[in-house]
Amino acid sequence: MADTVRAVVAAAHRTVRAVIELACHEVDVIVVDSADTAAAATDACRSNTPELLVLDLDLLDADGFRVLIDLDDQRPDTVLVLADRADGDLVLRALRLGARGYVTKAEGLRDLAATIRRVLSGERVMSPGLEKDAMGALGRMARRAREGADVEAGLTARERQVLTLLSGGLTIGQIATRLAISPRTVETHVAKLYRKLGVRGRVQAISRAATLGLVDL
Amino acid sequence: MGEAARPPSTVTQTTDANGRMTTVRHGVVVVEPFAVVRAGLVRTIDASPALEVAASAASAEEAIGVVDRLRDDRLVILVAMGLPGEQDAYWLIRTLRKRFPGHVILGMGANADPNTVSRALFTGADGFVDKNVEVDEFLAAIVDSGEDHVVIAGPAADSVGTIAEGIERRRAPTFRLTPREREVLLIASEGLTAREIAERLGVRERTVTTHLARIYGKLGVGNRLAALRLASRSGLVSMRQDD
Repeated sequence: MADTVRAVVAAAHRTVRAVIELACHEVDVIVVDSADTAAAATDACRSNTPELLVLDLDLLDADGFRVLIDLDDQRPDTVLVLADRADGDLVLRALRLGARGYVTKAEGLRDLAATIRRVLSGERVMSPGLEKDAMGALGRMARRAREGADVEAGLTARERQVLTLLSGGLTIGQIATRLAISPRTVETHVAKLYRKLGVRGRVQAISRAATLGLVDL
Repeated sequence: MGEAARPPSTVTQTTDANGRMTTVRHGVVVVEPFAVVRAGLVRTIDASPALEVAASAASAEEAIGVVDRLRDDRLVILVAMGLPGEQDAYWLIRTLRKRFPGHVILGMGANADPNTVSRALFTGADGFVDKNVEVDEFLAAIVDSGEDHVVIAGPAADSVGTIAEGIERRRAPTFRLTPREREVLLIASEGLTAREIAERLGVRERTVTTHLARIYGKLGVGNRLAALRLASRSGLVSMRQDD
């Protein structure tokens, strides 16, 4: 850290912001802006192009992921996420959005200064156990993606259409009208769909298809 | 499979430091094309008190035969990503995943990039270890994966986010194509013209161009090359430049 590191701090609560600012100060990081909303944090990053963003997921107008999504490739090089809670899916989401650290406030605020120094040196920093949880989430994601692709590959174009309409809440009769085929034929497609998805009913089918990423709900 | 010399029961009961009976010694199958590397891996893995090499193989085909013959419920199969030929590592991983869902499959790379790891996980691997990590970390990764943890050991471990993005990318383009469109794209990847594709499929050229236009639309690309690049990234068609 030879050069000056500038940071933007984002958190809904004044106290949390104060703790982060203090920690930054301790490791000679200059806080150029502080924000309590996702919108203000995004603007602050765009106008200041800081090297570091310390981001509490708890913001007034949206969750902190919003900031990372909106910044897209304008994200600061180093992003440290603070959160009230953590599980594998949340951590994986943060990592996908470019975060280098993820610590819970309960565990991470005490030695935040040290954490900031570590992420700035390029290290991944996570509360204990979170790395493993994120790996588990990655494995589940890969399995779902694979299963989804497999199931999807086995569907006919018609079945796919029926699935989309089914998850849009249309009845058998409405689907038949929409596709200009008989209700009997729709029922046949639906039965085949259920078999291919390994489910028994409409609700199960839709939730399974959503899990596999075949339809957007 | 020169080194296969162990009895099939590779999981044994032992006592841990606290005197409890625990199940350790995971049976491992090593699939690695280079004889010297394979011998080194077998020796290193066998030296671990928690692991035992059940068999080894030099090619994908041989690996399938070996795993089929072993009667274990649960093996950790280490697949070197550098397997040469048509039946490459991805083919092996996919085939093992389908035929032996109970086994743990670990991709094994040499300085592998996130893209390789994404593809391995998407294809069916439960984790990934790199040959460039320290021996202890290498062995710990195998043990961990044998205990159902998803493990990524090596340089790619720094890119979990990128790996996840890669999996998502592989997933996306394929699922909008119909089986017929897939077929058209597959034939197009051989470099055939629309007319030649039409002849192959026994349909009119017009139908093929309609298919192609629809494929481009679904994949959000403007031409055939871009479509093929996307499709190859998602594993739909294979292009030599890929990975």
